[in-house]
Amino acid sequence: MDAEITEREYMHSGHVGCPGCGATIAMRFFLKAMGEKTVLVLPACCWSIIAGSYPQSTLKIPVIHAAFETGGATASGVRAALDMLGDTETTVVTWAGDGGTFDIGFQSLSGAVERNEDFLYVCYDNEAYMNTGIQRSSSTPYGAWTTTTPGREWKKMRKKNIVEALVAHRIPYAATASIAFPEDLLRKAEKAKGIKGSRFLHIYASCPTGWRIPSEMSVKIARMAVQTNIFPLYEVEDGLRYTINHKPRGYLVREYFRHQGRFQHLTDRDLDEIQKMVNEDWELLLRKAGERV
Amino acid sequence: MSEAAMQNRLFIPRSCLTTEGNKTGSWRFLRPRYEDKTAPCAAGCPAGEDIPKIEMLTAQGFFKEAWETILQENPFPAVCGRVCFHPCEGSCNRGEYDDSVAVHTLERFLSDTAARYDFRPSFARLPSRKERISVVGAGPAGLAAAWFLTLLGYSCDVFEASPEAGGVLRWGIPAYRLPADALRQDLRRFEREGIRIFTRRPMDRQFFAEAAGRYQAVILACGHGRGQSLSIPGEMEVGVIEGLDFLRMIRASEMAVGGGTEAVIVNGAGCGRSMDTLGEGEAAAEGSEFPGKIGEGALSSFDGLTAVIGGGNTAVDVARSVIRLGGKAVICYRRRRQDMPAFADEVRMALEEGVALEELVSPATAGRDGEEIVLSLRQMIVAGMEGSGRARVIPDGDKMKEVRVRRVIRATGAGPEESWMLPAVEGTKVLALSHCRLVSGEGKLVVVYAGDLANATKSVAHAIASGKEAAIALNALLREGSEAVIPRLQACAVGDGPALSMEVCLGGERRLRSRHIVSYTEINTDHFGFAPRITQPRLLVEERVRSFAEIDLKISAGLAMKEAERCFNCGLCNGCDKCWLYCPDVAVIREGEARRIHYDYCKGCGICVVECPRNAMSLGEGEGEG
Repeated sequence: MDAEITEREYMHSGHVGCPGCGATIAMRFFLKAMGEKTVLVLPACCWSIIAGSYPQSTLKIPVIHAAFETGGATASGVRAALDMLGDTETTVVTWAGDGGTFDIGFQSLSGAVERNEDFLYVCYDNEAYMNTGIQRSSSTPYGAWTTTTPGREWKKMRKKNIVEALVAHRIPYAATASIAFPEDLLRKAEKAKGIKGSRFLHIYASCPTGWRIPSEMSVKIARMAVQTNIFPLYEVEDGLRYTINHKPRGYLVREYFRHQGRFQHLTDRDLDEIQKMVNEDWELLLRKAGERV
Repeated sequence: MSEAAMQNRLFIPRSCLTTEGNKTGSWRFLRPRYEDKTAPCAAGCPAGEDIPKIEMLTAQGFFKEAWETILQENPFPAVCGRVCFHPCEGSCNRGEYDDSVAVHTLERFLSDTAARYDFRPSFARLPSRKERISVVGAGPAGLAAAWFLTLLGYSCDVFEASPEAGGVLRWGIPAYRLPADALRQDLRRFEREGIRIFTRRPMDRQFFAEAAGRYQAVILACGHGRGQSLSIPGEMEVGVIEGLDFLRMIRASEMAVGGGTEAVIVNGAGCGRSMDTLGEGEAAAEGSEFPGKIGEGALSSFDGLTAVIGGGNTAVDVARSVIRLGGKAVICYRRRRQDMPAFADEVRMALEEGVALEELVSPATAGRDGEEIVLSLRQMIVAGMEGSGRARVIPDGDKMKEVRVRRVIRATGAGPEESWMLPAVEGTKVLALSHCRLVSGEGKLVVVYAGDLANATKSVAHAIASGKEAAIALNALLREGSEAVIPRLQACAVGDGPALSMEVCLGGERRLRSRHIVSYTEINTDHFGFAPRITQPRLLVEERVRSFAEIDLKISAGLAMKEAERCFNCGLCNGCDKCWLYCPDVAVIREGEARRIHYDYCKGCGICVVECPRNAMSLGEGEGEG
């Protein structure tokens, strides 16, 4: 069934990701597509921990741990160094969380892609600062509980649309992907690998610990985010050509929220409000993809 | 190196070990494990066929292995692929998703494929035992019992009164549903497995006396071949025809000539009696072109209308046969169409072919008026429901109805040929099981009543279930004594029973499956897409009514594989590898066909269990065997 997905592993067992960690599933799939000619730049994020503390490493490819705000800049430097060595084969990848992408690393990311540096920036998005204790980020969705948006102070701001921000830079390739759609994820990683210039991949990676969900539901929840249009799968080439990769059958967002502890405080009215926002965003995407006039 | 140079050097710590030294499995408090379970279709099949495995192998193109998987539990794939009422499809989980899998059509496909390539099956069989068993009646129950007893190591002799083996399959069910060649395809294997079938050897009380010396047990499976009378005035005078006899005469006109069944049938010389209705006259019809010779004698003409009394499959078979002989037929049934015991699909096709249905009428009297018979019918009305879901009917006052017909055929149920064939009801040495009845005594011949004699539901699938139960029960009785019978049967149950598995009985892999029956909510439908069910190709109505040619047509291998792919394979690992794919800890190990969890690293997140599309994994506490 999944014969096209290589058996080759670039990740070792024994990493210290939480049980059911979506970010580790994302990495496993991603590297299967990238192969060994990959250098990974890791700004501070969950993966800084998962990758192993010195002298261990859970990945079979070179990793550079970098400061939180330097994902874009470090990758630019690594690329320049490889160019000096005449290595055109190796792909430089920044692998950052949503905090390091949406908030703290945004300036260096924006700078690097504005220069159209030849690298692939991957944001695995678990919608808060998870490894420091579930603080909200600008990726945290409307309605979510975090330790910094507790109780009735749940987050009242919308999630930043990071893909659109990158598309606005008119980079050669930007796409979303999900751990629940491995074939789609691998295809996009392979496609990005073959493109020159700045590429951006936004991977939805569920977090049982921070989302207050049972670990076994991790992939199922990620799938529901796509099925409910909360996290549509699409890609944008040259900042212009939109392609929607998955057309869901129209499940209600309610289903997705119902399963997660971080949304338990929401009332039916709140959920109706959220459904409206999701519908609005989906319509906007359909218009951009030329499927609505 | 100078001090200045040292100061300008860049030192970066570099990791050189993997994380495999961290045995993160110690974090685990829930433990996933591979655990195959029971599919609802398999438990719903009276013969307990391993349907999810059959469909898995079919989808993978392993047609021979799929066919052998049927044979393991049912020696009649060609027959059941045609005439089974397929309760499996009614319990199919896919039915709740889009439409049930066409298990019946696929069974037919596998038997066609086996015939086409002349597959020779190989399967588990216990070493020979000294005991000899005789089986009376070569219908589906008797033959199934002989088949399974043979697999259990016994040598079996089957005695059949009529000139060919098959019972209702040969002499009852019309050829348009089950051609003789299809039956012979299944029967040929019996001889290859060393089962001797003696035809033209009717049974009488004398038989028991002789059998006691030569056999350790007798399986009595002579069926319900004698029709029941209508008990109405005029029945004898107008010559009401018995439906089973009518069907038997039609089937007798296609007796084997040359080759064919001779391989199967060991002719018992000097037999006393052949079939009741096969006198000298019919013998002349042997090998003749059908239906040319049927016309000689009582059934000289099929012009005009024939009334068929009854609502079961026999009634429908009779009515549809009348149509094929050029007549017209009306079925008179005392309840409503939805109450008819006949298969709904058969009723629907009968009506398509022009059979009329008169509901809520019960015959009161019959009288002759020249060429015609006047049948007066009492009109009935529904007066509530019976426990079985059928309508309870009572006469609608004195209201009567009259039909004028050329002949009347009754199909109102059947009983055994002789009253002593009825199983003993009580007694210390009588063991009443779900599909058969064992009677044993110290030093006495063990008698097992099977098939219609002991079955509440009279279907081919139930007859096979009866034969299997008889074989497993008899084996337990002969090997371990009567105390062992019930525990042995329970050990072989598919799900909650009463369906039994011969593979389990023979110690096959199926015994490792959990009894838990997978429900629809336990299927992860995210991994499936809607797909239309295959439509069984059939002859057109106008082609159907012209001959007794088989109605259901063959399907191609491509279509069969596509249909088999629709199967969820409930509870059965088919190697889809979703467990391996989604494991965050790279802790699922594939070794050829096998999957294994590396518990040194498995953190017990349970994603593999939820993502398993077919509930072939379980998550539980404790650290037992995985």
